[in-house]
Amino acid sequence: MNGGWRDLEEGDVAVQTVPRTTSPPGPPPPRRRRRDGQARAAWLFLLPSFIGFAVFTAGPVVAAGVISLLDWNLFSPPTFAGLNNFWRLGDDPTFWSALVNTAYFTLASVPLTIAVSLALALLLNRGLRRIAVFRSLLLLPYATITVAVAFVWIWLYIPTGGLVNAALGLVGIDGPAWLVSDTWAMPALILMSVWKGFGFGMVVFLAGLQAIPQQLYEAARVDGASPWQGFRSITIPMLSPSFFFVIVTSIIGSFQVFDQALIMTNGGPGTGTTTLVMYIYRTGFENYDQGYAAAQSLVLFAFIAVITGIQFLLQRRLVHYDN
Amino acid sequence: MPHRFTRRDALKLAGLGIGAPGLLAGCASRPEGVASWSMWSSSPEEAEVWADFSTYVEQQMRIRSVPNLTPSNGYPTKLDLQLVSGTASLVTAINGQLLPTYAARGALRPLDDLIATDPDFDAADFYPTIRAISSFAGRPYMIGFDVAPNVLYVNKTLLAERGIAPPSPTEPMTWAQFRELAIELNAPPERYGFTCTLEIDDLVSWIYSAGGNVMNADATAGALDEPEAMEAIDFLVGLFARDKITPPIANLIPTNSRANFMEGNVAFMQNGPWQVVNVRKAEFEWDIVPFPAGAAGSTPRVSGSGFAIPAAVEGADLELAWTLLKTLTSTDALNIYAAAGRNNPARYSAGSAFQPPPANVGIVQRILAGELAGGHPFEVTTNWNQVKQMLNQDLPRGFLGQLTPAEVVTGLTPRLDVLMTQHQDNVRLAELRK
Repeated sequence: MNGGWRDLEEGDVAVQTVPRTTSPPGPPPPRRRRRDGQARAAWLFLLPSFIGFAVFTAGPVVAAGVISLLDWNLFSPPTFAGLNNFWRLGDDPTFWSALVNTAYFTLASVPLTIAVSLALALLLNRGLRRIAVFRSLLLLPYATITVAVAFVWIWLYIPTGGLVNAALGLVGIDGPAWLVSDTWAMPALILMSVWKGFGFGMVVFLAGLQAIPQQLYEAARVDGASPWQGFRSITIPMLSPSFFFVIVTSIIGSFQVFDQALIMTNGGPGTGTTTLVMYIYRTGFENYDQGYAAAQSLVLFAFIAVITGIQFLLQRRLVHYDN
Repeated sequence: MPHRFTRRDALKLAGLGIGAPGLLAGCASRPEGVASWSMWSSSPEEAEVWADFSTYVEQQMRIRSVPNLTPSNGYPTKLDLQLVSGTASLVTAINGQLLPTYAARGALRPLDDLIATDPDFDAADFYPTIRAISSFAGRPYMIGFDVAPNVLYVNKTLLAERGIAPPSPTEPMTWAQFRELAIELNAPPERYGFTCTLEIDDLVSWIYSAGGNVMNADATAGALDEPEAMEAIDFLVGLFARDKITPPIANLIPTNSRANFMEGNVAFMQNGPWQVVNVRKAEFEWDIVPFPAGAAGSTPRVSGSGFAIPAAVEGADLELAWTLLKTLTSTDALNIYAAAGRNNPARYSAGSAFQPPPANVGIVQRILAGELAGGHPFEVTTNWNQVKQMLNQDLPRGFLGQLTPAEVVTGLTPRLDVLMTQHQDNVRLAELRK
C-alpha cells in the first residue's frame, strides 16, 4: 500500500482508490478553528443566562410542580397530598373570585393600554419638535416603580379633595369613593395601570412605525388612498409584529398584577380586587399553605401558557412579517 | 493602553458567576459563637435603640452581638425563610399575634424546661397578659419584651375650643357617654368625633369590652354572631355608617387613623400607646384616657411581642441562646427600651416608656398592673393570618355602609367556622408532634 495508490504495473492506467476516511489528516483549516472558537465563546457568554434560567426559572417551576403535590406548612416535614391541592381549587370561592378579577383586569387594561400606546406613538411619529423630550416624559410613568405610583394614585383618588374627583366636579360629576367602592375599585386600578403601562407599548409601536417604508404610503397616495385607508391597510398590517409583541407581554403582565392591588385596595372591598398572584402570595407566605399556593401558581401558569399558545397560533394568520 | 476584553477574562467572569451563589450561601449561614438576634426596625430611631441593646448584650455576655434588623413589613417573610433554611438567629423577635402560628408548626422551641431549670429567671416579673400572649397550648414559647393595651387618644385642643372638659384620666367613659361626646364634637367636614382602622385589630377591643370574642372559648367555631360581639360590631359600625362621626373612608389602608388624628380635626382616636412616640409630633394638645367601657368593662385588646428561640437551636447554641434571650429581656435591657419611649416594657420591674407630659401617659402601666380600667390578651389562632385576612376583607363592607352588620357577620360566619376547624387540626398536629 502506498496511500490510495496501488503499485502500477505495465499497461495499467493510473487509478485512484477512494480512501475510507473523508476527513483529511492533520489540523483543521484556520477558518474552521476560528468558527469553533467563536461557538465556544458564544456558549460561554450564554452560560450565565442558562444558569440563571435553570436556577431561577426552570428550577422553581419544577419545584412548584413537586410542591403542589405536597401538604407543606414550611416548618414541618411535608407529606404527600397527591392531587388534593388541585381538587381544593374547585371548592375555593376566593380562588375563583380572584380568577374572575384577574380576567376582568386583563380584558379591560390590555386593550386600553394598547389603544393609548398606539395613539401616543402615532402622535409622536408625526415629526413633532422636541420629540425626544415628549418621548422621555411619556415614558416616565413606565420607568417609575409601581409602589411609588400606587401611593400617588391613592392621593389622586381621595373622594373629597382628590384630583380625579376635583376634575370630575368641573364637569358636574360627583365622583365616587373610588378605592372602597364595589363598582369603582377595579376600574380605578385599571386606570392607574393603563397610565403606568402605556409607555412600554408606545416605545414599541413608535419603533414599529419608524420602520415602515415611506414608499408604501407614497404608492398608496398615488393610487388615491385616503389617510384612513393608509392607516388600515399599511400601518396596521406593518405594525402587526409590534401588536403581537405588546399583546403577548401585556397579557402575561396583567395576569401577574399584584403591587397596585395590594397597596391601593388591599384586595378589597371584600375580595373585589383580590388578584390571582395576590391570593397565591397570601396562601403561600401568610397562610403557610405552600402546596396549595404551588397548585394555584401552576394553574395560573397553565392559563398564561394556553393564552400565549393561542396567540402564537393566531400569529401565523394575523401577523405580517415583512422580510 | 486600554485593556482588551479577552476570552480568558470571560472565563474568569463566568467562574466568578458560578462561584458567587456558593459564596452567598456560605454568608447566609448562622455565624458561630456570636450572640445573633433578629428584630424588626423601620426607622433610624428604632435602629438606635437596637444598637444600644447590642452594646448592652456585648457588655453583659462578653461576646460579639449581631443584631439582624429588618423593616417590620418584610420581617415575617424573612423570618420564615431563615427558619426554614436553618439560618435564623439564635434568638428572634416574634409578634404575639403570630406566636401560635409559629409554635403550632414546630418553628419555635418551647421554653418551659429552660425556665424550670433556671433559678435566676423570674417569670412572675412579667405582666400576666404578656405571659398569656407568650404561650401556646399551655407552654411558654417566648419571653415578652413589650406589652400594651389599646387606649383612647384625646385631642384636648379641639375639646377646649368647644368648651368641653377632657374625659376622666382614670375612669373609663361608658360607650353611651363616649358616643354622645363624639357626636357633639362632630361637625363634618371641619371636624370629626372619632377615628380608628376598619380592621379586626381595632374592632376586637370593642368586642372584648362587650363581653364577646372572635371565636368561642374552645376556638372550635366563630363567635361573631353571638349577641355580645354583634352589639360591639353594630356599635362601631354605627359610628361610621349611621352617626357618621368618622372622617370619610378614602381607602382601606390601616395607617389612615393616625394620619386622620394628626390632622388635628378629630376628637378621639383608638390606638395603642406605641403611637405616643409619633403623636408627640402633633401640633395640638393631646392626652390618653382609658378605653370606653362596655357591658364587660374597659377591656381592650392587650398585645405584645417577645423573643423566642428557633426549634433548630440545640446543644451549646441552646445554652447561648437562652442566656441571650434572658439578657435581651432583662430589666436593664427593657429600661433601655423604655427610655426610648416606644412601647411599654413587659416587666413590672422595668421603667415606664410613657412619662408625662402629657399628664396621663403614665396610665398604661397602671392599666397593665390592674390598678385601673382593664385589658384582654389578644386571643388568636394558629391560622390568625387567614382569619385576619378574611375579617379585614369582609368587615369594611359594614363600615362603608355597603352591608348591615348582620349581613356582614352572616356572610363570614361559615368561613370563620371552617378556619376554626383548620385551627383545631393545627392544634392536633402540634400535639402529635410533641
